[in-house]
Order: sequence, then structure tokens, then C-alpha cells
Amino acid sequence: MAFVELKSVRKSYGSNTVLQDVDLNIEKGEIVAIIGRSGSGKSTLLRCINGLEPVQGGEVWVDGVAVHDPRANLRELRARVGIVFQSFNLFPHLTVERNITLGPTIVKGIGAAQAAVLAREALRKVGLEEKIKAYADELSGGQQQRVAIARSLAMAPSIMLFDEITSALDPELVGEVLLVLEAMAREGMTMLLVTHEMNFARRVAHRVVFMNQGKVWEQGPAKEFFAAPKTEELKGFLSAVLH
Amino acid sequence: MIRELALLDVYYLVLAVRWTIALTLLALAGGSLIGLLVAAGGASHHLLPRLLARGYVGLVQGIPLLAWLFIFYFGLSIVGYDLPPLIAATVGFSVYAGAFLGEIWRGALIAIPRTQWEAGTAIGLTYIEQLRHVIIPQAVRIAIPPTVGFLVQLIKNTSLAAVIGFVELTREGQMTTAATFQPFAVYLLVAALYFSLCYPLTRYSRVLEGRRRGVR
Repeated sequence: MAFVELKSVRKSYGSNTVLQDVDLNIEKGEIVAIIGRSGSGKSTLLRCINGLEPVQGGEVWVDGVAVHDPRANLRELRARVGIVFQSFNLFPHLTVERNITLGPTIVKGIGAAQAAVLAREALRKVGLEEKIKAYADELSGGQQQRVAIARSLAMAPSIMLFDEITSALDPELVGEVLLVLEAMAREGMTMLLVTHEMNFARRVAHRVVFMNQGKVWEQGPAKEFFAAPKTEELKGFLSAVLH
Repeated sequence: MIRELALLDVYYLVLAVRWTIALTLLALAGGSLIGLLVAAGGASHHLLPRLLARGYVGLVQGIPLLAWLFIFYFGLSIVGYDLPPLIAATVGFSVYAGAFLGEIWRGALIAIPRTQWEAGTAIGLTYIEQLRHVIIPQAVRIAIPPTVGFLVQLIKNTSLAAVIGFVELTREGQMTTAATFQPFAVYLLVAALYFSLCYPLTRYSRVLEGRRRGVR
């Protein structure tokens, strides 16, 4: 069984179907980029994987946990599945350090001293150790997003989900966040990213998935995927975003 | 018999401030209990608590405070519950404060973006843990200035308790006026005493407004 396995997943809001018949496998250590137009269901797909959105049909398996099952222990699952959002979502009333230690201390029951060590370690990975006592409103967007990544990393997840994490950033701040992602890729982290950064996807991802109309429309190894798209829809999309 | 306004009268007026403060604190306590329920109900994802909270607020805010005091004092005594003025006033003011505090706090709760809940969920926090560590600390910062502002309203409105015979500052002023026939001097003093309670709170509320770290 793959590390993440989606089988015929269906997700709808009322009569509006967002995902239909989605099958997707992700192996441990794999880096998969999801691209597609807005509204194609790519963010929803990501959110179904850690149970932020319940599915209406099909199965979602993550590391042996049946996420689609209403009785699934999502708390335990979320400690192992990190997610980083487009809008950072740091806790503005807490310091950077407390943002990071909240999960480990409360969810995992790790002691304060040990959690502080984890926070420093996670901040070192994103290159922001000196901001440990800062508040979110004292940081740039890129720095906030790196702290958000550190907050996820401190939970020691076995997979990280990234939901368009550079889309809300000023262009000059995108690079520093992508550098952090590349470093994580080199360390062998399993990653699933929804992204608009095509160059990044081509360079870092092992596999790229094109979502269209709520379906996995086309997928393949990054090089071939961009060099020789098969479907008309992907060709159209790529020519629109790559000019 | 009319007598001169004596230093003793001033002393009694100052002492009556205690009852104004006592009634305010009792109403604040009762109102907070009701207000928490109203805020929780009003911010709930379920329809029924939301309707109940909205209905309560609509009912209380649609009826004058004075009418509530009459209902609890005179009304209940007719159906056999003879409440002493302090109790009737406490209940009446609690009902009133509960609606306003509930609305203030509900507003503070729903002012916290949904993404904050989501970020809490994403790191595995339970609903209660999200409330405790993420939502309420931020909501409190938003709610404190208007809550202090409402407290000032509450202090001033306790003067209405005078009409059901509860001897707080205003009632003491009425009685002193009746004895000395010096309404201008007496009510000037009463006003000064209210002002000395309310003005510092208003100033404090302003200070709090300016000190809202981490709330956008």
C-alpha cells in the first residue's frame, strides 16, 4: 500500500461536485506537485488528505489511517501530516516560539523545555532562529510563511502538504520560501504541493499531477509532463501559464 | 422638616457609592454568566442555540431597562414572589447586561478569522483546545475595550434602581434632597461622584484600545 492512497474520492458541497473519482497514490519520500486552474479542486484534494474536509465517497488512506472513516483519529493523524496554508495563519497573539511549541506540547504532550529545543531546531531549518521571540506582525510575509513551515516541522510529520504557499507573497519573497522547500526535499521529506510555480515544480517534483474539473486529468514524471503534455487541456493550461 | 445640607449628608452620599458599586458588580457577575451563554450560542454553528441567543438579545434590547426592573420588582411581587429591591435590581440588571455583554463577546468571537480555527485543527488541537489557546485569547483582546465601555454604561444605569427603592447613590441623593431641599447642590455632588467612578474607566478603556497586540 502506498503511503497516501486516494481511491475514487468524491467531494461535493451540496450539488456542487468539487472532486470526482480521484485516484492518487503517493509513495514515501516522493515529491508530488499538483497544478491546475483555480476551482479545479486541487486545494480541496489537499485538505481531504488531512481530514480538514470530509469526503462524500471513496477512500482516503494516509499511513494506514482511514481518513474517510468518521471514527478516524484525526488528532493523531494531524500530528503526522503537516499542512501549510496560503495565508500563513500564524497565531498573532503568540510569539514565534509559542506558535511552534503549541502543537508539540498540547497534542504530543512534550515538555516545555524539550519543545523549546524543537522550536529552535525547526527555526534553524527555515533560517529564522533570531526571530524566536518575535510576533507575526513583526515579520515579512516570507518570514511568516517560513515560521508556518517550522510550526509544521516541529510536529515531526511524515508528510507535508503545501497549499499554494507562495501565492500570497510579494514576488521578491517567493524565493526564500522555495529555498526552504528545496532543503526539505533534499532531506527526503514526502511532500505534496499545490503550486503555481511551474519552474519549481519542474525542478523539484518527482511527479506532477494536473487537476481539471475535479479530476486527476493527467500525471507523469516532471520532465516528460512539461515536455510532452498528452491532453489538450494540459497543453492549453501550460501554454497559458508559461506563455 | 427641612434642615441644612450638612457634612454628614455628604458623608452618606459618599457611602451610598458602595451600593452603586455593589449593584454594578452583582450585575456584572450575573450578566457575565448570561453573556457567556449568549455569546456561545450566538457564535455556535448550530441553528437552535443561535436562534435562542438572537431571540434573547432581541427581547431584552427591545424593552427598556426600567420596564425590566418594574417587571422583576412589582410584577413578581403580584404573582407572589416578593423580591427585596437588591435582588430584583440584580436580576433585572443581569438580564440587561447579559444581552449587551453577549453581543459584544459574540462579535469578538466571530471576528477571529476561520483560518485561525483551521490552523489549530491542522496541528491537531481539539475544538476546546482551539478555543482555549487560539480563539479566546484573541477574542478577549478584542472584547476588553467595549466591555469596559459597557461597564461605564452599567454604572450609570444602576441609578434606575432608585425607582424601585434600592438605596444606591441616586436614591440617597433623592432622600438628601427631600430632607434639605437643596437639589442643585445635592445632584451636583451625585453627578461628581458618578463621574469619579466612570471617567477613570473610560480613560482606561481608551488605553486598552491602543494596546491590542496581535489583533488585526
